[in-house]
Amino acid sequence: MADRQMDAGKPPFLGFGLGLRAQHYDEILRGNPPIDWFEVISENYMLPGGQPLRVLDRICERYPVVMHGVSLSIASTAPPNFEYLQGLRDLARRVEPKWISDHLCWTGVHGKNLHDLLPIPYTREALDHVVSRVQLVQEYLGRAIVLENVSTYVQFNNSEMTEWEFLTELSRRSGCWLLFDVNNVYVSAFNHGYDPNTFLEGIPVDRVVQFHMAGHSHMGTHIIDTHDHPVCDDVWDLYVAALKRFGRVSTMIERDDNIPPLDELMVEVNRTREIAAKVLPPLTGQAG
Amino acid sequence: MSDFARQQDDFQRCILTGDDSVLTEILDSPKEKRQVLLGVYKYAYGSRLVEAMRSDHKLLHGYLGDEMFDAMGKAYVAANPSQHPNLRWFSQHLPDFLKSSEPYSDHPVLSDLAALEKALNDAFDAEDASVLGVADLAGFAPEAWADLKFQAHPSAFRLDLSTNASAIWLALKSDETPPDAVALEQPCRLLIWRQDVTPMFRELATEEAMMWDEAASGIPFGVLCSMLATYDDPDGAAARGAGYLHSWVTAGLLAGVSAEN
Repeated sequence: MADRQMDAGKPPFLGFGLGLRAQHYDEILRGNPPIDWFEVISENYMLPGGQPLRVLDRICERYPVVMHGVSLSIASTAPPNFEYLQGLRDLARRVEPKWISDHLCWTGVHGKNLHDLLPIPYTREALDHVVSRVQLVQEYLGRAIVLENVSTYVQFNNSEMTEWEFLTELSRRSGCWLLFDVNNVYVSAFNHGYDPNTFLEGIPVDRVVQFHMAGHSHMGTHIIDTHDHPVCDDVWDLYVAALKRFGRVSTMIERDDNIPPLDELMVEVNRTREIAAKVLPPLTGQAG
Repeated sequence: MSDFARQQDDFQRCILTGDDSVLTEILDSPKEKRQVLLGVYKYAYGSRLVEAMRSDHKLLHGYLGDEMFDAMGKAYVAANPSQHPNLRWFSQHLPDFLKSSEPYSDHPVLSDLAALEKALNDAFDAEDASVLGVADLAGFAPEAWADLKFQAHPSAFRLDLSTNASAIWLALKSDETPPDAVALEQPCRLLIWRQDVTPMFRELATEEAMMWDEAASGIPFGVLCSMLATYDDPDGAAARGAGYLHSWVTAGLLAGVSAEN
């Protein structure tokens, strides 16, 4: 298939958001907290019915929503799971998300799903494969998708390019947008011994539409992307660098384990907003 | 097979079986050996799936305790690699696994408890449907009732248990000491469903269970009453049938009614 781009238009800037988690449903619906937008885990709502979908409908009435999946398995060499894609498309018709994202990874082959974001070699063969899969998925969904860099713990010895070169080529050839996970860049950089700023500077400014901010677990010799801690100082520093390079990008706090009360996460959401206000020029000038 | 496909094949086999041949294609990091780094994925696989099982089967987890539940979970993970992209469905085969795999099959209460939790989980996010109200039935003329057919709510599910697992479930749910597990002479006939957003269950008498099963399969009300007449006082069959029907409607168990011959 010839390489070509989807002319879908760049997704809008949504502001500063949070990952929607069931623990906070009641508080959000009761209080309408000042969060600009929510990211929902697509698979949590790819269900027949019941309370999760009812809550999601109410959230969608009040906030912009983005769908973020973990099982697209875009880099798998197994045939695409069209049943999954149909479920994703059906959910998108219900939610009308601002965009649909997943990860540059694979989750299984031979009909198995390992429920992990597994690493790939950065080879030309892998790049051609993923470009064609992204194009197929984008045609199926009728929109450009957004792909996120994952935290990795291993590197393959047959890689022919860096991760940022791979992401850049993938985005340019397939037309997908990029979700720049600031924490994942920090984790992978530590694990593989490179400067996270080199990664950051290698990603094209015009392709990034979202930042993820999250916490991790430091094991001394390596870092594991656990999403069970507050964002650490080093990742906040990298966020500042990311703002300086990419400018105004929709940002959200991602917490998946040891989920604290909403107020605690609001502090982190507000910090993303405050730092952006300091780093970036105001959207519009005001006389006086 | 391409190099990329073969590499994924090797990587997955490592995670599922422990075959580390993929290590020859992985680099050490500046601070750690490749075996340790690959181990992050191997450990995460089992622990993530067992954690999902703990979440789906909180009361079975409480009944068995951490150590026994996790050992059971690892055995289930080994026997049932996930084949669905959504973790929500990973534990679906647990009741069957517990019924057929030693040593768990020696304790039928475990399979029953897992089946009850699974049924409640399934009711929680079952398909939505409008709920039949008493007023919907009031519009039918008396002579039409014999032909009325009922449609069960999509969340409704019948489950027969061979043990007192429902009593154990209730005790565990209330943080009370559960009774000893016992095998029942007659099965415990449960009806599980979702009322508004809350999963519920209740025990049915043999007669009501029969009527529910037949009604849910499309048998009209007149025939249901004739069947009830074979269970108890024939003269009171219609009244008993109407009583059961009324309780189902008020509990939100029915999604529709039709008067087709």
